Amino acid sequence: MTIDSGAQAIHSDEYADLGAVAQAVAKGMLLGARGNSGVILSRIFSGIARGLQGSRTCDLKTLCHAFELGVDEAYRAVSVPVEGTILTVYKDAVRYAAEKLSGSSSAQSYFYDFTQELKRSLDRTPELLAVLKESGVVDSGGAGFIYIAEGMRRAVEGEAFEGEEEPQAAQKAVDVSLFTEDSVLDFGYCTEFLLRLQRAKTDIDSFDFPAFIDYLNSVGESVVAFRDGSIVKAHVHTMHPGQVLEYCQNYGEFLTLKIENMTLQHNESEVENRFSAPAPKPHKRYGIVSVAAGDGIKTTFYSLGVDWVIEGGQSMNPSAEDFVRAFREINADTILVFPNNGNVILTAKQAAELYDKAEIRIIPTKTVGEGYAAISMLDTSSGDTEQIIAEQREIIESVVTGAVSKASRNATMNGVNVVLGDYISFVGDDVYADEKTANAAAVALADKLGAGDYDIMLILCGRDTADGQRQALEAELKQRFRRTEVILIDGGQPIYDYIIVFE
Amino acid sequence: MLVLFTDTDTDVTPEIAAKYGYRLISMPYSIDGKTVYPYVDFDKFDSHAYYDMLRSGVIPNTSALNKENYITYFEPVFAEGNDILYVHFSRAMSATFESMDQAVRELQEKYPERKFYEIDTKGISIISLNMLQEIGDMYLAGKTAEELVEWGRREADHFAVYFFADDLRFFRHSGRVSGIAGTMGTLLGIRPIIYMNEEGKMVSIGKEKGRQKAMDRLINYVVELGDNVKGHRVIIANSDTDEIVNELKNMLIEKFGKDLDIQIVDVNPTAGAHCGPNATGICFHSIHR
Repeated sequence: MTIDSGAQAIHSDEYADLGAVAQAVAKGMLLGARGNSGVILSRIFSGIARGLQGSRTCDLKTLCHAFELGVDEAYRAVSVPVEGTILTVYKDAVRYAAEKLSGSSSAQSYFYDFTQELKRSLDRTPELLAVLKESGVVDSGGAGFIYIAEGMRRAVEGEAFEGEEEPQAAQKAVDVSLFTEDSVLDFGYCTEFLLRLQRAKTDIDSFDFPAFIDYLNSVGESVVAFRDGSIVKAHVHTMHPGQVLEYCQNYGEFLTLKIENMTLQHNESEVENRFSAPAPKPHKRYGIVSVAAGDGIKTTFYSLGVDWVIEGGQSMNPSAEDFVRAFREINADTILVFPNNGNVILTAKQAAELYDKAEIRIIPTKTVGEGYAAISMLDTSSGDTEQIIAEQREIIESVVTGAVSKASRNATMNGVNVVLGDYISFVGDDVYADEKTANAAAVALADKLGAGDYDIMLILCGRDTADGQRQALEAELKQRFRRTEVILIDGGQPIYDYIIVFE
Repeated sequence: MLVLFTDTDTDVTPEIAAKYGYRLISMPYSIDGKTVYPYVDFDKFDSHAYYDMLRSGVIPNTSALNKENYITYFEPVFAEGNDILYVHFSRAMSATFESMDQAVRELQEKYPERKFYEIDTKGISIISLNMLQEIGDMYLAGKTAEELVEWGRREADHFAVYFFADDLRFFRHSGRVSGIAGTMGTLLGIRPIIYMNEEGKMVSIGKEKGRQKAMDRLINYVVELGDNVKGHRVIIANSDTDEIVNELKNMLIEKFGKDLDIQIVDVNPTAGAHCGPNATGICFHSIHR
């Protein structure tokens, strides 16, 4: 999906040079990135794009250098780089292919070396990351990258692609009959451009980007803009694109420019952003964005005061763009974001960097339980963001989130003999019990965690658990742990029969 | 002679009222259009049955009395040549006092010699109960109406109540608590901590997760804000929360000793319509509210 969003970002073949194409792909990927590997992948391409900037063509040396910048950028994207992931796999291959570079190298030989080393490095990932070894698997992000690199190699070899889909935007012809001699312009123009700030026109270092965004907002809507060095990428829906262009030319010149009458646009999501302006949302000091899967959990979050719940969770990672869209929906000075999944935190951070109409603060909740615990005790009345975040972090630390799910394979984990088809209960990567029923697994988990020492056991029931089964669990837990409050909620989440929050 | 009045919103029972000679003004609530006047339509309040009914989803409404109701209560007293001291729940909480003011104005024109005194306890439920009992004691000891009114004015700010509930539907329905953030639609073990401020209004001042933390917080208030706690009654009110009441009682005894004067009462059904079941609170003598 991350790669797709890069491909979709190439709207025409009229880019000034190779650098601009790489830039467009990278930006598309930054916005579309999903999951940790997705974010890292988008940063790799953003590094590569930086290396190709201004290049019309590129030789192997430039490519090597660009790929190396991809390594830098990717490592910088994560605060604590973990070896044995896509990071290592990509780095190893870049370094290996660079070493093999000689006077007789060709693009073909370069990509051959590159992909070969990718595969070897991937096989080494379990040696670097214990969790992979214990589970008997290799890193999935790294494995995914091999497909991408294979694609590059085959393109260089001149191989045709089977079943290839053209990016939608390029595929469809414009239906000009949608805007006639008598039509009224009510959707305006979707205006997108890459602007190169020019030294002759402005002091690039002190260019006031927030003011630039304010201007775009004053003449249009749905503004998405970000800046990368002297390049500004912006998207705005405006009735007067001419004004926008005039304004931009005060600071630089366009690298790319696309203006489309939105009445003709085929992309329905674009038309949804119509100019018949939605009622302005009341301004708040704090807005809240949370991520969750399952109707019940979403409803719970909304009832706790969350402004926008992004659909997502385990194996359904939302994209940075999903976050940006949520941010746009909220009229608040500061937006507190609860990713509720370790694999989504990075995406949320990336989205935060791409958005500047509000202060975005990420509360790094790794589970839906942490998110629930934090949001339910959120008290923004002090107005002191640092204090609020400190309190929230403290709450997160006091929560244990366990889950019950069906085992998808046989394994020995954390000393527990896991049998395919049994129900296992676990906290993070630590398996606590393997039982024949979901309820037994839940009770075993509660026993092992000493549930009696907690004040509250909040149980989010998955969509596949029956009423009777839920009630039986509630009764058993209440009977075993008399002092602990047992609260059941219809979470409706997939995958997990129960998510149990111990507080 | 001075005749004492109070109302049923103060958690007073006919037994306590009789001890001091208070006449009771019954503050009504209604369920499904049927209006119930406490201690008029029933003799004994069955707290468990009532709050169980609320747990099942019933949300009662409460309504103000009209001028005629007050005239019916007060006129016979004036007609007999007696004066009135009415110790009532917070003016800030009900429009019923506008009706009362009209009635009193009318009666004072008719009985210009007669005096009407009032003490606004700036509370409901147990703040009022705590004060009316001390007022009752002083009255029996021979204090004058003026002295009692003066005491009431001085002391109202020194009876604090802190309580928590676990179902916000009732507060939301009643609209009488400010500061309950929109962030608390579903309680899920979260308990808003509410107190009664100097204006006699209920204000939410935070929340605690779990029963234990909520109880700890109430006890902390008694310890931190308490002023001559043992020189006054400490009253625990509850809307059918026996377990919590017992724990709070034990916690109080542990902090203050066995000789603490602890009184346990049911939240009256009319106030209970606003706080719902499972609410528990403590009223104590304090430095401030």
